[in-house]
Amino acid sequence: MSKPAGAASPRAANVEVRGLVRRFGSITAVDGVDLDVAEGEVFGFLGPNGAGKSTMVRMLVTLLRPSAGAARVAGYDVVKEAAKVRRVIGVALQDAALDPLMTGRELLRLQATLHGIPRGHVEARGGELLERVGLTAAADRRVGTYSGGMRRRLDLAMALIHEPAVLFLDEPTTGLDPMSRISLWEEVRRLNIDHGTTVFLTTQYLEEADELAQRVAIIDRGRIVREGPPAELKAQVGEPTLQVVVPEGDLERAAEVLRHFGEPAPARPDSLAVHLAGGAAGLAAVVRALDERGVQPVSMELTAPSLDDVFVEATGRRLEGAQADPAVPAP
Amino acid sequence: MSAGGVVSLSRRSISNTLRQPQMWVPSMAFPLIFTALNTGAMGRATRLPGFPAESFLDFAVATAVVQGVLFGATAGGSDMAVDIQDGFFDRLVSSPVSRPTIVLARLAGAAVLGAVQSLVFMAILTAFGAQVRGGAPAVLTIVAVAMLLAMAIGGLSVAIALKTGSSEVVQAAFPVFFISLFTSSAFFPRELMSGWFKTVASVNPLSFMIESVRALIIGGFHVGDAMRALAIVAALAGVSLLLSLRALRSRLAAG
Amino acid sequence: MNSLGIALSLAGRNLLLMRRIPSVVVPSLVFPIFVVIAFSGAYSALTRLPGFPVDKMIDWILPMAVVQSSAFGGVNVGLSLVRDLQGGFFDRLLLAPVSRASLVAGPILGAVVRAFVPLAVVLATGLAAGARPRGGPAGLLMLLVAAEGVAVIAAGWGVGLALRLRDQRAAPLMQVGIFLTVFLSTAQVPLAVMSGWLRTVATLNPMTSILALGRQGFIGPVSWAQTWPGLVALAGGIAVLGTFAVRGLAVAEQ
Ligand SMILES: Nc1ncnc2c1ncn2[C@@H]1O[C@H](COP(=O)(O)OP(=O)(O)O)[C@@H](O)[C@H]1O
Ligand SMILES: [Mg+2]
Repeated sequence: MSKPAGAASPRAANVEVRGLVRRFGSITAVDGVDLDVAEGEVFGFLGPNGAGKSTMVRMLVTLLRPSAGAARVAGYDVVKEAAKVRRVIGVALQDAALDPLMTGRELLRLQATLHGIPRGHVEARGGELLERVGLTAAADRRVGTYSGGMRRRLDLAMALIHEPAVLFLDEPTTGLDPMSRISLWEEVRRLNIDHGTTVFLTTQYLEEADELAQRVAIIDRGRIVREGPPAELKAQVGEPTLQVVVPEGDLERAAEVLRHFGEPAPARPDSLAVHLAGGAAGLAAVVRALDERGVQPVSMELTAPSLDDVFVEATGRRLEGAQADPAVPAP
Repeated sequence: MSAGGVVSLSRRSISNTLRQPQMWVPSMAFPLIFTALNTGAMGRATRLPGFPAESFLDFAVATAVVQGVLFGATAGGSDMAVDIQDGFFDRLVSSPVSRPTIVLARLAGAAVLGAVQSLVFMAILTAFGAQVRGGAPAVLTIVAVAMLLAMAIGGLSVAIALKTGSSEVVQAAFPVFFISLFTSSAFFPRELMSGWFKTVASVNPLSFMIESVRALIIGGFHVGDAMRALAIVAALAGVSLLLSLRALRSRLAAG
Repeated sequence: MNSLGIALSLAGRNLLLMRRIPSVVVPSLVFPIFVVIAFSGAYSALTRLPGFPVDKMIDWILPMAVVQSSAFGGVNVGLSLVRDLQGGFFDRLLLAPVSRASLVAGPILGAVVRAFVPLAVVLATGLAAGARPRGGPAGLLMLLVAAEGVAVIAAGWGVGLALRLRDQRAAPLMQVGIFLTVFLSTAQVPLAVMSGWLRTVATLNPMTSILALGRQGFIGPVSWAQTWPGLVALAGGIAVLGTFAVRGLAVAEQ
């Protein structure tokens, strides 16, 4: 395999962001963000539509100047050393920027040339990537005829042409069918494990952040509201919720029992729910206590808090379907 | 068909055109720019034996009017195509408005715009020293010719819109009108042409129409010229009205 | 890879796209051919005016139509760039670790190559229709220089406008700019035949020298006096509009 010019760098492939701000007129799209992405990490940037994710990515990849603050990618300043940053990053923007009149192979060839792949290696490298993303058969068709999933895959292949040390993916699976989504997840995981690529990924999907990211930052209205490994964030929100369905006559007795195990939670009419104070470990005690009072539960279900609960706790709104109110006026 | 329907729909078609400056600004600006350029470049052509006018600007007034109407009247057709693309046309068809009204309103709108254009051109060029020697009767005739010509061109583009439903195709027809104009005596007198070009210009009906209009400006008012100009544009308008109504009928039959 | 290599491969993309959208190419060929035929047909009598240096109008019009067609070819590069800007493809180019100048040089180089097509077709049509290149190969070479220089200038204009306006609003501005620059010069008649304001404007318009450069071979033998002002005008135009295009990049990068 070819060694792309300039991609070899002994530096840590990390991302450091300090006090980053971007304003568009009176709108502050990114409002003072600090964060660190470690080398070899998959970092999830989770937030609703309009939260400022793309603005953040565009600043990190040198396409947009910050209004204030600073960011470094692989140790290079994104403003002062933009050219060096471009050498070490791979980028797939939100609307896969592909020319519909060109074929997949032509686009990969152009991308390879732009990224300094030596002439003799261009075809081989392109062919290898087409194979890897499963587009070999469609390689000589115009991109205009590709499906959404195929475009994303081609976009990913193009982002990987020079084996970047840090990969930025802006909503890589938005609008994809579940199958395509899962295959893209697998590809990202493989890159991270096999090549140690650092991945900065934005998403509106909880499962995606949960599934892929070792750490997530939740962004809302331009500000980071929570940051950490998904498990820790969920644990911070609190206890798992226990849902118990009981025969109608037993509702009252069951409620009395459950009251001793934690705060009641909203539940369906035929069931009860409680935030289990002792965590999952308390489940056995609940079963025993119910049994002692002669309550025979129809079913019991223990659910861990989701990232959505984290989002609700942080913002007071649900993430799914939340349209962040974008108008955060500049001070 | 109701007169009220025609009036309200043609008002909509006029205000639609006015609301899109890219539709009418070029049709006002370009003929004036051409007139200015050609008068500067070819002003001395009046010295050539056989040139019919004393001043090139007088000669160019008729050119500006016809050119402006030609440019402007395609707007109605491409608007109609947009209506078809947007589904507004279907809504009209399913309303109690009689069907030919839909087409007639477009043409009436085009005619009103044509009248305004011709008056504006004559006013501006007169301010720069052009003379309409035929006086008020000539001006009235020219306005009537402009209206009929607008209906003729508008009718053709509406027919194309109804046939294809695509505003791109309507706009693509524009060069065809432009070429017909250029191969007539619109820009230069036929008396000074020679060879095959003169032959082409001599069979182009636009030549006769424009020469009659021009005669009203550079010569004076003669009923013969007025009738000839009106007859040519009326015939063109009639043909294109028929074409557009037929296109309407076949679109309705197909839909 | 060096900047020239990058510019060449971007130019190559430009030519590829030209072949894939015939609706762009066909009018850019048909229109100048129409100009040659219609102008030299309609205005043939003008050559009888005192001060007109040729006796067949086509000799006067053909070089102008050739230069005009490469000018429109040049702004077409700007139109392709508008498409790239709107579709986001230009972001991909900006993300590449290449010199910013090569992102502008690429399309302009594309315009240079592209200009050969109308040049050849329009010239061939004109010669077939009776234009006479009295200045021989040297005269044709001067026309080539003028046409290619204008292609670069027009591409600079188109690219600069595209980067500043970033949408379809740029298109009419590009075309009207070219149209006016060409027609406010000796496009239709020589200075000696013009009158009034147009003569003043055309005298000042550098396009007049550029047309003189390209046209001289259709009037008589090539001379230095008809050549150097055109070369100066081309160099000046390339410098000014090249800068306009490159500065546009800074605007596009915010
Ligand atoms: N170029 C721009 N001009 C003006 N406003 C913008 C621009 N880009 C983004 N915004 C605004 O900034 C906010 C954040 O947008 P974005 O970063 O695209 O959010 P996300 O990617 O999370 O959906 C939104 O309110 C958006 O309207
Ligand atoms: Mg986004």
